[in-house]
Amino acid sequence: MENDLILAIVVATALAFDFTNGFHDTANVVATSISTRAMAPKVAVGYAAILNFVGAFLSLAVAATIAKGIVDADLINNQVVFGGLIGAISWNLITWYFGLPSSSSHALIGGVVGSAFVAKGPDAVFGEGLLGKVVVPAVVAPTLAFLVAGIAILVIYRMIGRLRPGSVTRGFKVGQVMSGGMLALAHGTNDAQKTMGVITLALITNGNLRPDDPTPFWVVVSAATAIALGTYMGGWRIIKTMGSRIIKMDTAQGFAAQGSGAAVILASTHVGFPLSTTHTISGGVMGAGAAKRISAVRWGVAGNIVLAWILTLPAAALIGGATYGVTRLFGTGAAGPMIVSVLIIAAIAAAFVRRVQHGSPITAAE
Amino acid sequence: VKVVLAESVIDWAALLNVLWASLLGGVGVTAVFSLALMGATRAVDLRRDGRVAAATAYAVLTAVAGATVVAALVFGVLVMTAKD
Repeated sequence: MENDLILAIVVATALAFDFTNGFHDTANVVATSISTRAMAPKVAVGYAAILNFVGAFLSLAVAATIAKGIVDADLINNQVVFGGLIGAISWNLITWYFGLPSSSSHALIGGVVGSAFVAKGPDAVFGEGLLGKVVVPAVVAPTLAFLVAGIAILVIYRMIGRLRPGSVTRGFKVGQVMSGGMLALAHGTNDAQKTMGVITLALITNGNLRPDDPTPFWVVVSAATAIALGTYMGGWRIIKTMGSRIIKMDTAQGFAAQGSGAAVILASTHVGFPLSTTHTISGGVMGAGAAKRISAVRWGVAGNIVLAWILTLPAAALIGGATYGVTRLFGTGAAGPMIVSVLIIAAIAAAFVRRVQHGSPITAAE
Repeated sequence: VKVVLAESVIDWAALLNVLWASLLGGVGVTAVFSLALMGATRAVDLRRDGRVAAATAYAVLTAVAGATVVAALVFGVLVMTAKD
């Protein structure tokens, strides 16, 4: 009974993480389209939400592992997972508050690493896995997207430079709708699966599933729904950063950033070298701006974003580890996760009430 | 020691494949889309000027480039569905 209660809390927390993942990463898909007016804000987030939902069903090759090759899988239990999820959710909300795009996947890995570290000590974490699967991709993704988008925008300007601006702008707006759609599908496919993996692992750990059982359909539908709802809510602060605070972009730059980002993500998926959507699109936006004019990029904003990327793993690990430590103060039962959950829900409710009282500082309309 | 560590940590073959595939896909597809856009714009302008043959040639270019972009989109979806 108590294990079922922990399972229910972990499933609910995993879906909450999925929601923040969609909410946080909406900007990757829609920011450039909104800033170039290729799509109206509400239409853009609705479009992204639908394609995120569809994307979640495109591939169901869910690995029932979290942070595979990074933490010792045998040491993971539902309390460790709970700590990891809280670490990831917290870091997603912190970076959203400051309008900084950061990787939800890296936040989840960081949270689980911190939680596992506190639970079992340094032997639970594999340094090489952390370096190869988190640190190296975090450097490769933005650098490669920067390069590809930079070359792409130079090629585009060379080809369309003498054409009538009106038809070119309309054409690239259509291109942005297509490339944004590909990004939304890829995001739904990659990121909803992480939540499916977390829930599936929790069910296996609790004895509700065997390791070789397929992922239950309700898990797929609930993960797809949570990420789509989060996407539809739209993390407007990050959308504003990605869409207009890094560079003031034209439609060709928006298309180059999105098209290059989609190509890099799909290439990495195809080859089996997973890269973060957030890192990739951010690099693409910077590359499309810098290739036109180095000073077009607001490097101060870009620096803050890179700082957030560097802090993601340790910060989520710190929160994940602290959460695990607090839950263990109440033993190995459901009391710890329940108390932490109630505290977090109360904190979110207080923040919501405060926001309603003071109004939203940054909205889509701005 | 550093070389051995780098070899064990980084999958260099996969990384190189990502590099060339990203460059080919990213630059290639955006260039072909721009070609379609250029062809469509030129075709309209030339037709307005009464240069039907040239306009038709640009229209064909637009169709081929457009079909290539659609094929790239379909390939992208296939990559997602084939993920393991």
